[in-house]
Amino acid sequence: MKALAEGASYFIGLFQEGGKVFLSLLGGILPTVIVLMTAIYALVSLIGEERVERWAKASSRNVITRYTIMPFLAMFFLTNPMAYTFGRFLPERYKPAFYDAAVSFCHPITGLFPHANPGELFVYLGIASGLQKIGLPIGGVAIRYFLVGLVVIFIRGIVTERITAFLTPRILGEGYTLEDLDKQEA
Amino acid sequence: MANEKNSVGGMQRLSGLLVGLGRGIGKLVAALYDGGRKTIDMMIRNVIPFIAFISFVIGIIQKTGVGNLIAQALAPLASNIFGLIILGLIVGIPVLSPVLGPGAVIAQIIGTLVGTLIVEGKVPPQMALPAFFAIDVQVGCDFIPVGLALGEAKPKTVEVGVPAVLFSREITGVIAILIAYLASFGLFPR
Repeated sequence: MKALAEGASYFIGLFQEGGKVFLSLLGGILPTVIVLMTAIYALVSLIGEERVERWAKASSRNVITRYTIMPFLAMFFLTNPMAYTFGRFLPERYKPAFYDAAVSFCHPITGLFPHANPGELFVYLGIASGLQKIGLPIGGVAIRYFLVGLVVIFIRGIVTERITAFLTPRILGEGYTLEDLDKQEA
Repeated sequence: MANEKNSVGGMQRLSGLLVGLGRGIGKLVAALYDGGRKTIDMMIRNVIPFIAFISFVIGIIQKTGVGNLIAQALAPLASNIFGLIILGLIVGIPVLSPVLGPGAVIAQIIGTLVGTLIVEGKVPPQMALPAFFAIDVQVGCDFIPVGLALGEAKPKTVEVGVPAVLFSREITGVIAILIAYLASFGLFPR
């Protein structure tokens, strides 16, 4: 009987521990995220889609903005996963690099702008809530995560662009050029 | 007579201004209210269910002692830059990264575990920044064909693009961790 009772309390204990975790996650950072997301959703709807697409097209023309500003605009305004549709403004040869840059920004952006990828907040929040629990400020972490993220997606875009150029003749056959890639029929 | 005309014009201008103001505020309030609705919707449908799931996993892991085992394996990797690079190289292996990608579940669980290690003092806080990038080298590797298709990429682009992104990660993953490590200096001054 005693063993049974101990077993039962151990069993319940498993979930009590989970309950504590649940409450600390829910009460810790989430309220701020909710208010922030409300403001940003409102801003996005006031700015409007057409204007954003114009900005995206303008940023697609330059190699630096193509892998920094353009993925940021995509993630901020269209959010994950619709952000990748901005790839349509680019020639074929840049599409893998743009996808790589955009998708690699879907977590660094969440520290400052959680609305961009609310289903995957805990890549950032998991670590950030640990910092918060020991009384450290997380503002600086969020900003650095964002800025380093921009540098990283720029490098990633450039590297993936090169690798795409390197692999094209090796995978699609000798003599297949990037121009052929751009001109291919669907 | 002229005075009367002026005052009528004044009234019209004033009422025009008020209508414009009312419309503007109405639009702003509607946008904010709609934003609130979207946010709560998103919380109920995506975020809180994930918190429930992750609370269950973390609760079990901590209570059963599996947590200690994982922490013992993870702590030496997450507490210094070399360990983080090794972690990044592992999750970035081109055949492993597409498996680890979906929903960023693995990255989120490892992230939360690193968070608890920071609370326990087993991982120094300034490692948080490089850790973000080390646990996330595989980001989106499961989604490359779909992501490219969303960007209206043609079939041959997908054929080249998938390996291009996967190989790129093994190089840029390490660079990302190193840059984040350098950027973490002075983050938490003593």
